Amino acid sequence: MKQLLAKAKKVCDQAEIYYTESEETTVEFRDAKLHDIESNYKSGYSLRIIKDGKLGFSYTRNLINPDDLIKNAVNSLKGKVEARYEFPSTITALQLETFDPVLNDLTSKEMVAECSRLCEIFKNKTDAEIMMVAGKGSENLRIMNSKGTDLSSKNGSYFLWMGLTYPGGASGIRRTYINKSFQTTPEELINEMIDMYNSSSNVVEPESGKMEVLFMPNSVYTLNWRTLSGTSGKSVYEKVSPLSEKIGLKIFSKKITIFDDPQDDTHPWARSFDDEGISTKEHTIVENGVLKNFYYNLEYAEKLGAHPAGHGYKTSRWSGDSISLKPLPSLQHIKIHPGNTSLSEIIKSIDKGIILEGVMGAHSGNIPNGDYSVGVSPGIYVENGKILGRVKDAMVAGNVYETLKNVVTVEDKTHYTWSGFFPAILCDNMSVSTKK
Amino acid sequence: MFKKLGNILAKAEADYADIRYEVMKETFITFNGKELSRIGSNITDGYVLRVLKNGGMSSVAFTKEEDAPGAVKTAVENAVLIGMNIDKSIKLAKIPVIKDTFLPELKEDPRKIPIGEKLELVRKYNDIPLSHDKIVMTNIGYSEVNREKYFLSTEGAEIREDLITTSLRGLITSKDGNLTQNIRVGSGGSDGFQSIRNLEEKLEKRTGLVLDLLKAEPVKGGVYNCIVDPNLAGVFVHEAFGHFSEADIIETLPAMREKMEIGSQLGNEVLTIIDNATMPDQLGFYKYDDEGVPVREVQLMKNGVLTGRLHSRRTAMEFDESFSGHCVAEDYRFAPIIRMGNIYIEPGTDSFEKLLEKLEDGLYIIDAKGGQTSGENFTFGAQYGYLVKDGKKAGMIRDINMSGNLYKTMMDITAVGNDLVLSKTGGCGKGQLNIRSCNGGPHILMNNVVIGGV
Repeated sequence: MKQLLAKAKKVCDQAEIYYTESEETTVEFRDAKLHDIESNYKSGYSLRIIKDGKLGFSYTRNLINPDDLIKNAVNSLKGKVEARYEFPSTITALQLETFDPVLNDLTSKEMVAECSRLCEIFKNKTDAEIMMVAGKGSENLRIMNSKGTDLSSKNGSYFLWMGLTYPGGASGIRRTYINKSFQTTPEELINEMIDMYNSSSNVVEPESGKMEVLFMPNSVYTLNWRTLSGTSGKSVYEKVSPLSEKIGLKIFSKKITIFDDPQDDTHPWARSFDDEGISTKEHTIVENGVLKNFYYNLEYAEKLGAHPAGHGYKTSRWSGDSISLKPLPSLQHIKIHPGNTSLSEIIKSIDKGIILEGVMGAHSGNIPNGDYSVGVSPGIYVENGKILGRVKDAMVAGNVYETLKNVVTVEDKTHYTWSGFFPAILCDNMSVSTKK
Repeated sequence: MFKKLGNILAKAEADYADIRYEVMKETFITFNGKELSRIGSNITDGYVLRVLKNGGMSSVAFTKEEDAPGAVKTAVENAVLIGMNIDKSIKLAKIPVIKDTFLPELKEDPRKIPIGEKLELVRKYNDIPLSHDKIVMTNIGYSEVNREKYFLSTEGAEIREDLITTSLRGLITSKDGNLTQNIRVGSGGSDGFQSIRNLEEKLEKRTGLVLDLLKAEPVKGGVYNCIVDPNLAGVFVHEAFGHFSEADIIETLPAMREKMEIGSQLGNEVLTIIDNATMPDQLGFYKYDDEGVPVREVQLMKNGVLTGRLHSRRTAMEFDESFSGHCVAEDYRFAPIIRMGNIYIEPGTDSFEKLLEKLEDGLYIIDAKGGQTSGENFTFGAQYGYLVKDGKKAGMIRDINMSGNLYKTMMDITAVGNDLVLSKTGGCGKGQLNIRSCNGGPHILMNNVVIGGV
């Protein structure tokens, strides 16, 4: 890599190399039976060069001929993509505990055994169609640039995704459990899934109207996605954010605090530097309902005259391939601050409402505007604090900037979801459409 | 190349093994507003190895040639582990062993057009919306993905096929006060660069619509009868029905599998649904899937009765149905899974005016905006629409999201128009992205649709 950087430097003012090497094995159970085991070994390089304020970019899997990679980057300079920023000079970054060597010893056989054990428990206690994916993965990352930055990290994770599906549908109760190495699945989590599934097994048909909606952690991304769109430096720069002028103003209920916590290495994927080599730190977006900060990568920080605080990541909304992506403003370690009421107390407090266990269609609708309109997948109907059953064919619609003003209660715990660590959030005066 | 792949396969002590090597060349040109944010061409490559041994089947994807021996070892071990843990051995349907090179015919080969010319074309398109006052943002991008695939199996298959996908797609955003609206624009195909030429008029039209949307009324939530345009009809048939024609999805959902029995009346008798990736000049075209199986036309539903489904070699055996050639991977990073190629509702006899007359009062909803299914329930958005009163188009509406139950909705499609439009861009995400996923249909009349309004 050093040679590649030295070569690249000769043709430009600044150069940066991003290298990733990852491996992953997943074990998949469907209908409570082992279905598939897949492994994946990937590595690759991206090169960014800046010359006369213009960006060149290229990538490859196999560095057979470094000159080709440099040539592709030089060719792309001709497009004259503006790049007035400077790569950072980050000499040291905090060493985080992101890899537990015990993970190396975890075999497919052990993951199969854990899934089989869980399937047996769920089979005995529910009539659900049981799906499960367990996996382990690790990634080595290295970022070097011509300003002397040379950072690397190794991340490891074990994850387990469990789904209890109502027969005939494909909606159901899903939970994800993650760790830095294999851990036996907590009984509390298993029981919570079983209870939620069994209490919602019959179908009810409530009437349309205004009611309370409890966004479960798995559904909170519907709201958060819109908030993150509104607070991204990219949206602010592109003038599509409704929040551009609202720093310091109250945009949500005072019960809502949203922040990025990249260095929390009790969970997998902690990072002390972002994909552009900038040191990370805790970053508050909304504090007690007040909008505090937007978030930027190098490019958008420069465009808006802001300070980049380590939020440039090579990710896309969909799958994407990190080496082929440009860094964009992204919060990879998002958390919503818990409140002080337990989930069971919250459910008991609902006069009439829906527990939104999962949603469909969070990606459609006018996201920049904050609008959403999602199918319940499933929605569990509650009256007078009691779960009556699940609702099919219903939609919950609103605008995040209204919804999060109407927060009644926030759960006293956060849970891992693919989009962040969230508590359940109860909101009032929500619009629910059903067939009645 | 085949010799090198043969050497890797030779090391796999297995009942069956195949390997796919791909070289992928991607070209991207992206504008964000007036600014060009990305341009360039790059090449990546990688391998996918699949192994069947002792009744278990497993796959490993890898990108470094030197990882091949390790990949072979892991795939064999995992296949054996699966074999030990399942009751019913995995078997693959017998297929003809094919040796072929298939390079598609392109009307205008995008590989021969200089990147500078592509850039100027995209810039010209991008400038069209930006010349209007209330357009605050455009995100318009050109993408060209050229996949050179080499497939080799221990049965003797040896296939080289190229897939060349050209597309222009984007989002145009308008803003008035605090209200922003956006609309998608896209074109492209599998048959060459001409599919993205001459789009000026289309860009003007889409720009006009997104400006009109600033004045449109949000739709009121409720249950409506709707005319659905061909684009949305295509997304409906893909999302709500098509995924349950994919045998790997219903295989392990016992209740769904029972319902999706061949011969069951699942839809209104006006509904006939086909998947035909062999049709030339459409986005989903290919000759062989990533198991080396020639793709066939499959009639999925005839007059509301389920008549067929889409298979991999494994599921064809499992269902005791004939193979169909629908096992396809996004690229060299993935093992193949069952995908639709080109699914559409066959047109009927009603003109659009006739459909309006049949609807009387309701909504005319147009252009899909994301869709998702969860079992028998589906949700998707429409980009815009109109109220219909007494069979006549009235005011424009926005913020339209529909939700429904597959089986009820299939029965509630009561009339099918006489037009047929197939999609020009795709992006089906089923764990992997399929940019060639093609769908379509005529205008259709759909009763009792739940619309979630604000």
